[in-house]
Amino acid sequence: MAARRDAMSAMLGSTLQVLRRLSARRSTSLSFAFLLLVALAAVFADVLPLDPLTQNLADSLMPPSSSAWFGTDELGRDILARVVYGARTSLVTAFGAVVIAALIGVPIGLVAGFFGDWRDSVLMRCIDVLLALPNILFAMALIAVLGRSQAAALVAVGIAGIPNFARIARAQVMALRQLDFVTAVRSFGGGSSYIMFRTILPNALSPLVVQAIVLASIAILLEAALAFLGVGVPPPTPSWGEMLRTGKSYLHEAPTYAVLPGLVLTLTILSFDTIGRALTALLDRHDTGVPERRGR
Amino acid sequence: MTSYLLRRLLHMLPVLFLASFAIFAMIYAVPGGPVAVLVGENASPEEIAATIARYGLDRPMLIQYFDWLGQAVRGDFGLSLHSRQPVLALIGERLPATLQLAVAAILVALLVGIPVAVGSAVRPNSWLDRLLSGWSALALGVPTFWLGILLILLFAVELRWLPSASRYVPFWESPVDALRSLILPALTLGIYVSGIFARFLRASLIGEAKQDYVRTARAKGLPESRVVGLHIMRNALLPFVTIVGLMMANFIGGAVVTEAVFTYPGLGRLVIQAISTRDYPLIQGCIMVILVGYMLVNLIIDLLYAWIDPRIEYH
Repeated sequence: MAARRDAMSAMLGSTLQVLRRLSARRSTSLSFAFLLLVALAAVFADVLPLDPLTQNLADSLMPPSSSAWFGTDELGRDILARVVYGARTSLVTAFGAVVIAALIGVPIGLVAGFFGDWRDSVLMRCIDVLLALPNILFAMALIAVLGRSQAAALVAVGIAGIPNFARIARAQVMALRQLDFVTAVRSFGGGSSYIMFRTILPNALSPLVVQAIVLASIAILLEAALAFLGVGVPPPTPSWGEMLRTGKSYLHEAPTYAVLPGLVLTLTILSFDTIGRALTALLDRHDTGVPERRGR
Repeated sequence: MTSYLLRRLLHMLPVLFLASFAIFAMIYAVPGGPVAVLVGENASPEEIAATIARYGLDRPMLIQYFDWLGQAVRGDFGLSLHSRQPVLALIGERLPATLQLAVAAILVALLVGIPVAVGSAVRPNSWLDRLLSGWSALALGVPTFWLGILLILLFAVELRWLPSASRYVPFWESPVDALRSLILPALTLGIYVSGIFARFLRASLIGEAKQDYVRTARAKGLPESRVVGLHIMRNALLPFVTIVGLMMANFIGGAVVTEAVFTYPGLGRLVIQAISTRDYPLIQGCIMVILVGYMLVNLIIDLLYAWIDPRIEYH
């Protein structure tokens, strides 16, 4: 029990240290701030004085003003309200997709890398198929089968993310399984699944967490792309991709309609990407123990 | 070399087999399946039964699959449920448009990506590197559909220089018209791909620059342009070329979205159309063609290896 508490506090300490290191850079702290804003908006959307659904045809396609900061859409709905509620759609899809991808991808990678025999060949061939198919096509085909719904979009994006986790988990296992502490557990009689999930997995967590963040940005992009192509979350649920799709038809009348939701979408993706890359860099340096050289 | 090629082509078969089976099974699992599309919404039970019997849809899935596979390996992917035309002919109509867009986009990507990568790799972590790396992050992070909309707003709506919807004009028939239609989609897709190129080539260049042979080249007094252009570049291209192959799926995905933004009549639009109208034979045919294309490109890239790096031989 005490050992577990020690491990927990050590983990908390190193997490805090990573956060401190990350926030030292302006780009990452800005990204954090923006994501926090988007997340808060998504969580507290109901509390804010915003209404994404009420139509008011008399005020359709209005430019940004003090009453509607982002303007109104073709049905006179407040675009800012729809962007805020769209954040919820985006983040829920991204979070769910990452969870699905991790729950399926990590065990696949663990088993493939741990045994390395025919199981590796079979599992990795399946992953190859997923990798060879463009994410978006795969997701679209799946939605054609499942029907159009938020759950379908979430599952489709999640399955498209499986290869990322599987490959990283596999690489981690292959690097770790030969190490002494694994041999020690094995000599104490630890079974395969115990070693995979209780010994190796906890030591392979950091790259997987980084992958989760990278995948979140891909998932948000993919969800928006699906909505843009007209197969994502069905209307009237607000979605950033759907807003770009409709906004594109009104480029002459209301140019900001497509531009502003797209800007929020882009900043969200860039923020996740920035944090993901900063974490990767931190991890690489940590692994090799050699600090990155500055200049020449 | 020939035996290597044969082996590689043989290795493609299990992946294609798995993929085609997976897609077939997925379509088979759809409630209603192709029948619903074939007979329409208000069909009587008799009509439905007749359609099922006519297309043999009541047979076990495995038999239907091997039936399809037997025809597919002979180049017959069946008829589109909607237009009643052979699937392969429909794909053949759209393929040149997509290839033309792909070539143009790759040209843009190389013209932008290589200078960006070299510029940032020459002095890692300098202000120039940070600026150019920021560009790569931007190129990768900005969704192609939003970038496309911004380009349309600027060049088609505001300046009125270029059309907002692109047609397919074969380049050799009318280069000017072809270019007018191609510029915006090629920029949209090319800028995205340039981000991929720049990011990986930069990493690869920096890795090579630390090697001993580079120090030797500098020590014997070679000018910096030769050290970078001849020694580092040539070795850095190798891992970079692999990445480009692996990124082909992203590229095709980007092309699907880009074609949708500019209503460009390529393969991507055909796929979207097939999926939204549930034209199952067409979906299956398109996906198989895209898969084969992806694997062939990867094979060509591996062969390119031997040409870039004479140390590599295939047996």
